[in-house]
Amino acid sequence: MKGFVNPLAPRPNRLQVKSAEIKAWARLLAVLPEDTPVSVVELACRDEGCPDIETVIGLMEAGKPIRTIRIHLPMAEITIEAIAAAVMETSGRNPGVTP
Amino acid sequence: MALPERIPVFLLTGFLGAGKSTLLNELLSDPAFQDTAVIINEFGDIPVDHLLVRRGETTISQVSTGCLCCAGTTDLRATLFDLHCAASGGLTPGFSRVIVEMSGLGDPAPLVNTLMHKPVAGASVRDRTVDCAFHLAGIVTLYDIITGTVSVERHFEALKQIGFADRIVLTKTDLAKDPATRADIAALPDELHAINASAEVIDRQGIDLSRLFSPRPYSSVERGEDVAGWLALESALAAEARASSRPHENAPATRHGPGIRTFSIIADDPIPQERIRQFLAALQSSAGPGLLRVKGIVAVAESPESPLVVHVVQHAISDPARLAAWPDHDRRTRLVFITSGIDPEPVRDLFAAIISATPFSFPRLFRQLGSGLAAMVSGAHSHIANFPRRFK
Repeated sequence: MKGFVNPLAPRPNRLQVKSAEIKAWARLLAVLPEDTPVSVVELACRDEGCPDIETVIGLMEAGKPIRTIRIHLPMAEITIEAIAAAVMETSGRNPGVTP
Repeated sequence: MALPERIPVFLLTGFLGAGKSTLLNELLSDPAFQDTAVIINEFGDIPVDHLLVRRGETTISQVSTGCLCCAGTTDLRATLFDLHCAASGGLTPGFSRVIVEMSGLGDPAPLVNTLMHKPVAGASVRDRTVDCAFHLAGIVTLYDIITGTVSVERHFEALKQIGFADRIVLTKTDLAKDPATRADIAALPDELHAINASAEVIDRQGIDLSRLFSPRPYSSVERGEDVAGWLALESALAAEARASSRPHENAPATRHGPGIRTFSIIADDPIPQERIRQFLAALQSSAGPGLLRVKGIVAVAESPESPLVVHVVQHAISDPARLAAWPDHDRRTRLVFITSGIDPEPVRDLFAAIISATPFSFPRLFRQLGSGLAAMVSGAHSHIANFPRRFK
């Protein structure tokens, strides 16, 4: 029954699915273990010249302060390339983040 | 009435138009809730929600304009402290419970962090008082069975409101008459548990309000990994903002999606009831899903002493309710709009065209509304064409 897909199962929420995808990409690109908690939120941005919304990814390694990655895109538009660029940029400011 | 040692605070959340004010009205007319202090928070530049909630003799009602989650948690702390001081000093009746009605766009995370904050040495008197005297005792989120699915799919705030709840109340279930819709409602708890596995899902019909707002220990851990992460990230972002040397970053981040805005229309003269109906119908049919919410109080020409309360939630216009009298001294029509991707100017122009018979600048509307304009122009034109000659 491994290939069985229950057609009556609740449809996954689009934002939840995207959030899970972003977390997985962030762990991969920041070279973090699978079980490292990662959180994703979408906030409006006040920075001048920025788009009016950003996605903030929090990397929560045990025993370390939370490190944040900011991407000036709505959550729905985040791509693995955008996270890779943000991780590269952030690694300069947060030495613990490995590009 | 003396204040209890630890006063339970409940957050009442739910996306725009989910029925929070209706539930609050029912609750405040219940004698069992006379010892309840209510903090009403709304996302709008003029407050109207407090006018739409009937206040009992012993209920204290505070209104915070702006959005608590955007204005920072100091607004909630200040309001709770004021309530405590006023009751302790005998200026107002005591209370044994606080309900905070959040804005429909409110993010619970900063408020939960505030209410679960532990007292710390060196904190201000205000912060120590709030930390010691109040505790988070539950989060009730209303879920509109008609618009809820779309809201949770499109708006991150709606998803978070479901995620933080320990009680989710399905509202407008009385509108479901046919078997297919009833079957859809029966499937909703499973869909909501996919977002928040531990919340209790309750039907609004026949609900026991005393049980819904009975104090219980609120545990963010039970809400799941996402909620724990949002709270931790919220704290980190708040710390970043405090530590920032750049002045604009000291302001709390706003949390609402792109293009979400609020604006208001105020009219001095009473309006014929049929015209306000025409305006709302034209606006709703033209603006589509970009019109998230309209609410307000209307001075009606036919009965100026009995104002109308109007509500529009996305695609649904509620039957206007007539109040027996004005709730305050201001007798003007006040309408608040919450929109996504719709600017105030075309809405004001439409209002002027239909209500005040002011000339309508179609070219300007074309520029402002772009592709969505054709329907609006067509709708407005047919409404205007139907007016009696003297209004043209």
